[in-house]
Amino acid sequence: MAPLDPVPTLRPSFWRNLWANAVFSPRTSLGFMRLDFVLGTIFIIPFTQMLFFAFTVQLGGGSAAAIQFVVVGNAVATVTYSSVFSVCQTTDSEKNQGTMEHLLVSPANRLALYLGRGLIPIGVSLATVTVALTYAAVVFHVPIAAADDPALAVSIVLTAFAMVGFGLVLGGVALYLRTSIILGNIFLFIGLLFSGANFPLTDLPAPLQAVGYGLPLTWGLAAIRAALSGASLGSLLRLWGILGFAIAISLLLAMALWDYFERRALSTGSIARF
Amino acid sequence: MIELSVSRARSTLASLRLAVLMFLADPQWLIPSMIAPVIFGLVAFEIFRGSGPYFVVYAILGAGMMSMWGQTLYGSGWATGQDREFGTLEPTLQAPTPYLYVVLGRVIWNVLSGLIGGLIVYLVVILAYGRPPPLVDPWAFAGLFVFVVLTLAAVGVVFAAFYVYTRYAGFIQNVGEFAFYVGTGCMFPVVLLPFWTSPFSLFFPPTWALDALRYLAIPGYAGFSWGFGIDLLGAVGTTAVYLAVAGSVFQQVQRHVLESGDLQEY
Repeated sequence: MAPLDPVPTLRPSFWRNLWANAVFSPRTSLGFMRLDFVLGTIFIIPFTQMLFFAFTVQLGGGSAAAIQFVVVGNAVATVTYSSVFSVCQTTDSEKNQGTMEHLLVSPANRLALYLGRGLIPIGVSLATVTVALTYAAVVFHVPIAAADDPALAVSIVLTAFAMVGFGLVLGGVALYLRTSIILGNIFLFIGLLFSGANFPLTDLPAPLQAVGYGLPLTWGLAAIRAALSGASLGSLLRLWGILGFAIAISLLLAMALWDYFERRALSTGSIARF
Repeated sequence: MIELSVSRARSTLASLRLAVLMFLADPQWLIPSMIAPVIFGLVAFEIFRGSGPYFVVYAILGAGMMSMWGQTLYGSGWATGQDREFGTLEPTLQAPTPYLYVVLGRVIWNVLSGLIGGLIVYLVVILAYGRPPPLVDPWAFAGLFVFVVLTLAAVGVVFAAFYVYTRYAGFIQNVGEFAFYVGTGCMFPVVLLPFWTSPFSLFFPPTWALDALRYLAIPGYAGFSWGFGIDLLGAVGTTAVYLAVAGSVFQQVQRHVLESGDLQEY
């Protein structure tokens, strides 16, 4: 008889954990993930939001270029629904459903657990921006050259990852809050003001510009605008680098927050409840 | 008869008081009624910068309307949705006071909080602008503004009644938010939209009332070609229809619950 392994491997693998969280979280803990919501987020919200701001600019006597500016800005800004608003609710839902305690005592790898929850929102975010930019080209006649497509694709993917990373950070903060809805909503809307979606960031006072530069949406928008305008590879690489940095920082920060509040929860037993 | 009226008024007051307390206990409703409109007001102010002083009125009116629309969409939906979620729909319907008077208290609070949101928008935008916006007739403007609020309250009561019968209230609120803002011309005149969309817009009382308000407040405003008077008549007419529809739907809801008793299933 073969000797038994003295230390059986009880920890599920990183990839299994990642996949299980990716598959289950839309049905259990992520917000805004019912099929009708997902379809609405991809097909309806971008169109109506772009329309709203396009007509607002038209009323103000804005030029065709100004209208296209807000159309592209809002096409990208709508990604916040699926990335930030949806993802930050994940810890909230666990508390609400009473499953947080079980999660905190599980040996699951936290990076896999957290990152896995972001996978579907990343996919929805990619679809949202792609559909929104299609509206921009077809309905609002924003010129998108085929030659710019690869750069545009890279910019969209990095933006989706950066935004979901930001959502995970807020989710980490939400572990300590009674509800994440307010936090998610605030960041859902301030992007419209501070990210350069509706007017250049330089129009804002310097302190508010600084707030804008702290948002990943600002850099994602800059990268997508640069790709659309056929910017040089050098300037694109700089923006992609910043987005990559934002993704890494977001994940590290989310993990640190999760770790910190998890320790507090385990020591006091008071914040795992809703 | 008087006793009956007092009892109904007391129910509405109690419902209003509870709505205020629940708002304070769970301030997530600050977002649709106050935080988001302030941001929309500032974005519009920035977009309109340099377009002329009356565009500040557009920004304030638009964002103020969005505040009240937000509160109507989310708050009034929750006015009946909360009973379904908490399991109190059927017990409340069994009470001697008609359910409409309970919902009315909640809708009144939604309207008031929307108004507070509108006031906050006003203060923030004039702070950014540096002085109060020019108004041709401030008193008439204030009076008509209150009427606009009433038209939204009528929509709120219909939504509250309609949401009892649908599981898609959340979808309508979240996904349809901007569609309502566009369709009723919150920030810009509805005449800017393609002509075929007008019947849909005119279906909502606030479209008429807001157009009338802009005729009153903005010199040279180019809204619906029929002008201020017809706008006002249209607003009164559609509001009356909405209130009648709301009353009949609520009666039907009550009858439905008493007959089948299955509305509580969420």
